[in-house]
Amino acid sequence: MISLYRPGDSILHRLSAGVKLAALALVALVLSLYPHDVLSIGVALGGVVLAYVAARVPRAVFFRQLWQLRVIVALLAVFLAVFVSPLAAWVNTGRVVAIVMLAGLLTLTTRMGDLMGVLRRLLAPLRRFGVNADAVSMTISLCITMVPVIASHAASVREAQQARNVRLGPRVVVPLMVMALRHADDVGDALAARGIG
Amino acid sequence: MLSSERSPAESRQLSLRDVSVDLDGHQILTNVSLDVSARRIAVVGANGSGKSTFARLLNALVRATSGSVRVHGVDVAAAAAEARKRVGFVFSSPDAQILMPTVAEDVALSLQGSGRDRAEIARCVNETLEAYGLAEHADAAAYSLSGGQKQLLALASVLVRKPELVVADEPTTLLDRGNARRIGNILIDELPMQTVIVTHDLELARRCDVAILFDSGRVRAVDDADAVVDSYERMFA
Repeated sequence: MISLYRPGDSILHRLSAGVKLAALALVALVLSLYPHDVLSIGVALGGVVLAYVAARVPRAVFFRQLWQLRVIVALLAVFLAVFVSPLAAWVNTGRVVAIVMLAGLLTLTTRMGDLMGVLRRLLAPLRRFGVNADAVSMTISLCITMVPVIASHAASVREAQQARNVRLGPRVVVPLMVMALRHADDVGDALAARGIG
Repeated sequence: MLSSERSPAESRQLSLRDVSVDLDGHQILTNVSLDVSARRIAVVGANGSGKSTFARLLNALVRATSGSVRVHGVDVAAAAAEARKRVGFVFSSPDAQILMPTVAEDVALSLQGSGRDRAEIARCVNETLEAYGLAEHADAAAYSLSGGQKQLLALASVLVRKPELVVADEPTTLLDRGNARRIGNILIDELPMQTVIVTHDLELARRCDVAILFDSGRVRAVDDADAVVDSYERMFA
């Protein structure tokens, strides 16, 4: 399940979505460009932990966010350690973890509607080139909403295989695609029924 | 035609004139004509009888191949956007109807383009969520709700717009008895607006003022709900 807003009244919850997005962009830039060493990347990661503490995110949620990065962390750390150096592995893996965890913190402390509001404002100047900011933000919200739906379809197909003791292999894509397309039709109807689109 | 121009007779009138619907070469409805203006209208019939297509005609989700559909005086084919403002539609599966990641955002989506400012939208959303017992889930992931709560959310997302007519297409089919009763009670006893309920729940259908029985794409009866449900049950006796 993708991380979603957790209600709260911490200082990070109270900051406006625009400020948090700008801060995230700035920190990501600094983290990426600053020539880090062993200590500085440790300080950066410590800063990320402090930010989670300031947002009063429960420890279990913090570790769940971290656990979701296990594959990318393992791949990055192993490849860099083997092919470059252990220092490069520590510094660059630390950079990625810090930035992704901060992005996760943004979604944990900011309502999707507020983020979409910022996106609409950012895209507003592009209206003159035919960009429909409302449609773009709506599409992103819909994509986020559909992730658990598609995951549940995949689980249904998996359970159907188990119940009938069959394995479809790569053909599993076919029923999943049919379910996804049927759901897309339903979503189209739901949008139309609400007078959208 | 604007609501202020409607005659009292039109204010709750649902009119179909010689409506036929052909989808992908299949005749779904054939020459359906009816006029109903009751406050609570049940639509019953076997699977594939055309009752869901009838419901979808009222919200312009399906267009008539021929004939005309008027909802409260509005020609649905000529003014689909206007009809959708007046007609809220509840689907049988709430999963298909929930469009935003969180509960409050999904309800707020229905007010997009309504001309209200953010504070007003937030107030309307809070009021609606309170009314349907969903306030404590406002910031929860909509997908994580139980089936009954999802259907309540789907209903709340429709009702926040205060439509003149609510069309519910098998709203209790996927629910347990308790949740089905709760949704039924809201649709029958609590809503101030006219409702059309497509249902296989004959107990719910009997609680309506009038019922329409569809059979093989045609209207077989439009009458008092008990009489129509009795006649429907006799079809399987």
